[in-house]
Amino acid sequence: MAEKEWEPKIVAFCCNWCSYGGADTAGMGRFQQPSSLRIIRVMCSGRIDPMHVFNAFLEGADAVLVTGCHLGDCHYVNGNYKAEVRYQFLEEMVKQLGLEPERLQLNWISASEGEKFANFVRDVTAKIKELGPSPLKPEGVN
Amino acid sequence: MKESIYQTVCPGCGIGCGLYIREDNQGAVSIDFFKSNPVNLGKLCRFGMKLPHYFSSGAFCKADEPSSMEGAIRDAAARLKGAEKVAMLSVGNTTCEEHMAFERIAKTLGSAVHTGIQAYSKLPPECHSYLEGMPFQDIEKANKIVLFIDPYVQYPLLVRRLLAAKRNNSHIISVGTKELHLADENLSITPNEYSQLGLDSNSVIITDLHPHTDANDIIQLLNLSLETGAKILTMKPFVSSEGVNRISKVKTTSKGLSQMMDEVKKGNIRTLVLLDSDPIELMPDTDETVKSLKKLDNLIVISSRKSPVNEIADVVISTEPLYRKAGTFMNTEGRIQENSGTGVTGINAMSSLNKELGSEEFEYGQLHEQVMAALTNEGQKSGYSKIKNLATAKQCTGGYVLKYLYNPFMWFNQLDDNDFVLINLNMVRSLKLKKGGQISLTSENGNIKMRYRVEGMPDGLILTARKLPIAIAGTTSVKVEGC
Amino acid sequence: MVEVGDRLLGYATDPNVRSKGASGGLVTAVLAAALEKGLVEGVVILKRIDEYEAVPVITDDVQEVLSSGGSMHAVPVNLAKYVVGKKVAMPGKPCDVRGVIEQAKRNSVDLSNTYIVGLNCGGSMHPVLTKEMLIKMYEIDPEDVVGEEIEKGKLIFKTKSGEEKSISIDKLEEEGYGRRESCRYCDVKIPVSADLACGNWGVIGELAGNATFCEVMNEKGKLLLDTAIEAGYVEVRPADEKSISIREKVNSAMLKLGDEWKEKVFDEIPDKDRLKYYIDQFADCIDCGACKEVCPVCSCGPDSKCTMFHSLADNYKMSMYHMVRLLHLSDSCIGCGQCADVCPVDIPVTTIFRRFANPAQKNRNYMPGMDLKRPPFLEVMLK
Ligand SMILES: Cc1cc2nc3c(=O)[nH]c(=O)nc-3n(C[C@H](O)[C@H](O)[C@H](O)COP(=O)(O)OP(=O)(O)OC[C@H]3O[C@@H](n4cnc5c(N)ncnc54)[C@H](O)[C@@H]3O)c2cc1C
Ligand code: SF4
Ligand code: SF4
Ligand code: SF4
Ligand code: SF4
Ligand code: FES
Repeated sequence: MAEKEWEPKIVAFCCNWCSYGGADTAGMGRFQQPSSLRIIRVMCSGRIDPMHVFNAFLEGADAVLVTGCHLGDCHYVNGNYKAEVRYQFLEEMVKQLGLEPERLQLNWISASEGEKFANFVRDVTAKIKELGPSPLKPEGVN
Repeated sequence: MKESIYQTVCPGCGIGCGLYIREDNQGAVSIDFFKSNPVNLGKLCRFGMKLPHYFSSGAFCKADEPSSMEGAIRDAAARLKGAEKVAMLSVGNTTCEEHMAFERIAKTLGSAVHTGIQAYSKLPPECHSYLEGMPFQDIEKANKIVLFIDPYVQYPLLVRRLLAAKRNNSHIISVGTKELHLADENLSITPNEYSQLGLDSNSVIITDLHPHTDANDIIQLLNLSLETGAKILTMKPFVSSEGVNRISKVKTTSKGLSQMMDEVKKGNIRTLVLLDSDPIELMPDTDETVKSLKKLDNLIVISSRKSPVNEIADVVISTEPLYRKAGTFMNTEGRIQENSGTGVTGINAMSSLNKELGSEEFEYGQLHEQVMAALTNEGQKSGYSKIKNLATAKQCTGGYVLKYLYNPFMWFNQLDDNDFVLINLNMVRSLKLKKGGQISLTSENGNIKMRYRVEGMPDGLILTARKLPIAIAGTTSVKVEGC
Repeated sequence: MVEVGDRLLGYATDPNVRSKGASGGLVTAVLAAALEKGLVEGVVILKRIDEYEAVPVITDDVQEVLSSGGSMHAVPVNLAKYVVGKKVAMPGKPCDVRGVIEQAKRNSVDLSNTYIVGLNCGGSMHPVLTKEMLIKMYEIDPEDVVGEEIEKGKLIFKTKSGEEKSISIDKLEEEGYGRRESCRYCDVKIPVSADLACGNWGVIGELAGNATFCEVMNEKGKLLLDTAIEAGYVEVRPADEKSISIREKVNSAMLKLGDEWKEKVFDEIPDKDRLKYYIDQFADCIDCGACKEVCPVCSCGPDSKCTMFHSLADNYKMSMYHMVRLLHLSDSCIGCGQCADVCPVDIPVTTIFRRFANPAQKNRNYMPGMDLKRPPFLEVMLK
């Protein structure tokens, strides 16, 4: 039996109003969602604490996607601006840590952009497959 | 805004880290770093950092109320006069001076103070001095170090010495328990394979000696040391362990804590006097110990902190918290450190008790002199020859073994974030444990479900850093199941 | 009456205070006057135990303040956390002052009733290493030392017998002694965020050694100094151009030296090795929590993100505790060195934290602890 190709685990934080809708649209449409994707729905990207991102990595995520409404479209005024500031710190931290920068991604996706969402996930998955498992992935129980 | 600051020593283990205790005018206690202390440069482990909790979880004494103190002393004296089958225990969890005072009372009673370590009585007396500590700096110079303890959990401030040794190119081997990050090799070998450790006179063997240490383990290491010339560093669990064991005159007949509790259970000890030594905390099986202690005619406790035995004692003579006491400590490297505190409530109480018992009173000054003389007296080390192994009691063979990883939190029943057991990956796989799941452990004492954490460890071993109700002894055979 | 912006030379009028003081006793006298005149309820002083040891205490006894003069270079404490929740005056090295400012940003200190007399700082030393250095490099018994001083890049020790021995700090640091590592690259030497900035740089001629150079940084500083002058505790005179320029020059030279150290200490770790390096360093961590406890910019209590989402039962490659703190401090760390000082397993915590903080702060052209204008970035942003 041929060795099954390694599937990365990708955690996507999606905001309830836009990017989660985008993921939904992608799912309903003809776009095949990779089995690697785990979506965590939050009310707003402003709710995503960097801690959640660390936790995803430490629990074994090979990549983490932070997504939300397009800037200006946040349903809670400026949640995604806050998310962006935090993201910049996170991005720098991940870089300094020595984790490959591709493993953390930010994208603004509206509810109608199913294709964008699907492409985004597909591209990341392909890239992570090249990189292999995250060095922060815990050994042992999974 | 008045604050009191005490320069003192951490009671968590025999390393004897220096620190400050700050008491504000409301009595709230906090710690401060004593950076010029050569033992620890002011650094403290997890236990040391949590000392405010250790000290404030006690309703120390009504010692400030002279009436209740006097009453307690009179009551204790009345019970001790004519009492039979008296035993006295001081493991070294207070100042050496208080221990010395306790020794005086023992003399008056025609009894002896035991430090709870049985291993001494099972070894030839000429070996005892080889179990004294040595300067921690010597560790840093060793070319090879073999660890029979887990320094991270058991004696945390040893870790930096080991890391320093490593920077000096020392080769560190850990034997027996958990894989250690700082070790170059983690071996799981039995005593007959010790020769493969390749030790010589520049090597150091680090082990520990506490109330539940198996004398056989010590014998193996003494023999190993004899054969190879390697030095032994014997870590000890209590702040004055080193001191009181050097002071103790009854090592050859010394009773172990378990042995004492056995005698209590059988009625061979009917009166027990404790100096800052709580068997309920120190014994592996809490319920069993409480049951035994309740059989005593007299349980007399002299204590500087609230601990479970106070609840069931007939008399409690409560003294000031450790950091306020005047007194001296000797740590595992044989270094003498003194408290800045001037409290003598404990000493005076014991002096009054001694007087009530018909003997002379004493003062802190006299005791201190006596302590200093005993501690600075460099005994002659005479050689020893190969020691025969003792006949061993039942060994846990096969199956799974739950083992206590003794550490400061465990000795003093202090709460810590450690409600999980350590197991290895093979066990996780064979029991098909799930992530975030639990492991079920069953012994004669019942069943418990625990969270677990995966570590590199020998097969079949389960380690716990907190006491578990299902444990019968330091090592307990258990059945395990996934759940 | 002095004015904000004034640069003065001053000293304590009481000869005892003046001679015991590091450079004129002005700081001590100002603190004592603030207490005496009711500006504050207490003063943070260092209770001296010996040459190498002192503990911060808060006192409301003016005499105790008056007898607390002198700089202790081998006492690397940070005072910021002692003033939390109190109405006090304190002396402070730049790292103490910056800590207090960060505490104020987090509403733990009310700056309107906390008075800070800043001290210039060229660095502090670790007491145990200092003793070792005395024996090895100075061949002096540490117990014989009665005073120490830093002058022209040299560290001078005086002994009981009146002997003086000096060795250049560069040489000491080459041998691994001298200032703590964090002090070598510390980037604030004059505490401009304090109310007064005091030091001996720029004190020349006959005043050298017995007067303090003092810059009035704000209204509170003016009040402090006016109070002390009115009470007759201190005398001041304007500093001349020469003094001012010397102070500036020394400061720039020190900052430049700091930059050179920065280059040395923060040698680039290759991308592919970094994660392994950090995991390896933190693998020895025994979760004592001391690095958080001492951190002068952290104002979280025991229940904080780094502690509450961290469990000893975790099987993670790196603990949540460190991950969260690496991020939270990347904008706030002032590089005071406290965390490395207290780490029981000698993890170079400060250096590691600075590896994250240096780029984060540089990219935002931001230095924490300098003023209240810019909040910690992770909390608020949005212009
Ligand atoms: C570690 C250190 C390094 C210094 N380096 C320089 C320098 O390079 N250039 C320069 O111009 N000035 C430096 N100073 C400041 C200088 O030594 C004098 O403190 C300053 O000139 C004020 O003198 P004074 O006589 O008025 O102070 P004093 O009246 O003597 O008062 C000194 C005050 O400083 C406090 N203090 C002493 N030690 C410490 C400490 N370790 N941490 C916090 N507070 C402390 C005392 O409690 C006291 O309140 C340094 C001070 C310290 C503490
Ligand atoms: S290592 Fe021992 S003495 Fe030191 S702080 Fe920890 S428990 Fe206390
Ligand atoms: S960190 Fe800076 S301000 Fe603090 S003691 Fe060191 S040099 Fe002085
Ligand atoms: S992280 Fe360390 S160096 Fe930075 S401010 Fe906190 S204690 Fe100081
Ligand atoms: S001080 Fe050191 S050992 Fe303690 S928590 Fe921080 S890094 Fe870990
Ligand atoms: S609601 Fe979508 S980002 Fe705020």
